[in-house]
Amino acid sequence: MKFYMFHLMPYPHLSEDFEERESAWVTYPNSNYDPTVGTYLYNRYLDELEYAEPLGFDGICVNEHHQNAYGTMPSPNLMAATLCRNTERVDIAIVGNGLPLRDHPLRVAEEVAMLDVISGGRIISGFVRGIGDEYFSMSLNPTHSRERFNEAHDLIVKAWTTPGPFRWSGKHYRHNYVNVWPRPLQQPHPHVWIPAFGSTETMTWAAAHHYTYLSVFAPSKLLKKWFDGFRAGANEAGYEASKDQIGILLPIFVGESDRSAHAEGREHVLWLYHKGLKHKFEHLFPPGYMTEESWGRFLRSGLGSYTALSYEELISQGYAVVGSAESVRERLEELADELGFGLVNALLHMGAMSHEVTKQNMEIFAAEVMPYFQADDEPSSLEKPQTAAP
Amino acid sequence: MSTGYASRHFEFGKARVHVMSGGEGEPMLFLHPAAGAGYWMPFHEMLAESFTVISPDHPGFGDSDALEWIDGMDDLVYFYLDLLERLDIERTHLLGASLGGWLAVELALHQPSLARSLVLVDPIGLDIPEHPIEDIFAMNPDELRAALFHDPDVARRFIPEEPDFEALMRAFKEKSAFARLAWNPFCCNPKLPLRTHRIAAPTLILWGRHDRLVPPAHGERYRDLIANSRLEFIEDSGHAPLLEQPRLTVDAIGKFVSETASGTPATGG
Repeated sequence: MKFYMFHLMPYPHLSEDFEERESAWVTYPNSNYDPTVGTYLYNRYLDELEYAEPLGFDGICVNEHHQNAYGTMPSPNLMAATLCRNTERVDIAIVGNGLPLRDHPLRVAEEVAMLDVISGGRIISGFVRGIGDEYFSMSLNPTHSRERFNEAHDLIVKAWTTPGPFRWSGKHYRHNYVNVWPRPLQQPHPHVWIPAFGSTETMTWAAAHHYTYLSVFAPSKLLKKWFDGFRAGANEAGYEASKDQIGILLPIFVGESDRSAHAEGREHVLWLYHKGLKHKFEHLFPPGYMTEESWGRFLRSGLGSYTALSYEELISQGYAVVGSAESVRERLEELADELGFGLVNALLHMGAMSHEVTKQNMEIFAAEVMPYFQADDEPSSLEKPQTAAP
Repeated sequence: MSTGYASRHFEFGKARVHVMSGGEGEPMLFLHPAAGAGYWMPFHEMLAESFTVISPDHPGFGDSDALEWIDGMDDLVYFYLDLLERLDIERTHLLGASLGGWLAVELALHQPSLARSLVLVDPIGLDIPEHPIEDIFAMNPDELRAALFHDPDVARRFIPEEPDFEALMRAFKEKSAFARLAWNPFCCNPKLPLRTHRIAAPTLILWGRHDRLVPPAHGERYRDLIANSRLEFIEDSGHAPLLEQPRLTVDAIGKFVSETASGTPATGG
């Protein structure tokens, strides 16, 4: 099993009127963001990600979100750049660049290639569509989301793998000269991770491309369906997906005992699901962002909003794992057996957790949970990119 | 007299496009707003007393399939130029509401000979930064009812508080088709004011007195942009006078056509 430290870099100091606000996204006023506090938070959060290296994590993750308090990394590539310079061994996973949100996907091709070269080939390049709210925040037509994602992806991968200059005449992007400098260090290109929310289109597509499929916050019952769908997609594409091609994003809080872990972890888990993930329904599901089929499935699934779930439901349904090291180990093993993932993106900071508590959470997790799983390395269906010898 | 209506489907590639028509008299092409297509409503029935009403469902709305290539207002205009040929309509009274009003303006300036007269009911289509249209895509059902209707009881009739699965699916389909046309630029064609001088048809602009979605400044701007036009208000109505005050609205349309348009409308029964 591989372990990555995931950070959302939230802005936890919400205003007193937050309960009356419709969302932590799109319309939550940025007057609530204090840049002085931000200076402390960014540097502290980056320290926490960097601390994952000496603790033995396989990698660290940053991601992209816009105009919200849940995660303050509108540019994950900027964060990856500073992490490249302050780490030496760990993978740096960008999960991911929101492709449709950019008018110039070649900027993604260039920036990720730069990061790959600077880091000596440690970059994992995630691609996402961006969540519904971001189609409001960036004024991007959600009905173009999937076709822009697909076209931007094809253009970026071709830019990395085909000698330039070449011409690109797509529907959304047109270039007379595609000739990306630098080229990535990893050949043919950095490995790609695809975080997804269970749409059949995405799981089939990711499997066909031999990419790693990542879940986002959902109950384990649903994750089982998603991962099974992904494995079926791989079978259709003529191969068996190994466990390390499937990753779970999991908020984890490890305490001294179950009792103290729940006493302390509860507010952090609740911040994530009740505050950070407080969306206006209409923002999260803009028209045309999903196909009609996916929308129908979503309506029938009866999935409600995160804010409607109690702490006990969040824990019992697998939205988060909280407990003593032993309990976390057991729960993780149970989930891994049930779901068949071999990659854990551990969200070890949530909400308003202090630096000390975050470090402690990381330390116990690294010392008392990770070693138990890291031993069992299984054969991999992933084609590892090569870096040329220097 | 009850005129009734006929329902037809036209094939466009693999897609089927639904067109309702009924009544007698000079043709009047009705271009519907962004929601509620596919139904022959009381205002259709009233119009059909004086006109041959032709009421297509735009692709992706009502009972019409979506057409993959329709990705913006200009695509929809070219679709309609094709559809009008198939319907054998060279000249017609043009009536459009909200989204359909914007479409009617675009059609009239693409093909000025088409419109015998032009009636715009609370049309979108203009960008007036000091009088913005509220973001309708972000509205929840409560907000939609308040923005679209003057009378809360009427609002609940058109936007039910407990929609069934089919209604939710239909709303998703129509909102998606609308988003393809109007997400960005939001509900407008910024170039419209450069082109409206091409409209020669006598034009009536009707505005719900209590339209809380599209400010009346948009009606005034349309009146200033279209040479041969006048602006009238429909009392006790929000953004959708054809639904909220069908009798008042249809009477205003009939009066305008008989006063200003070249032909004399057939007398109704």
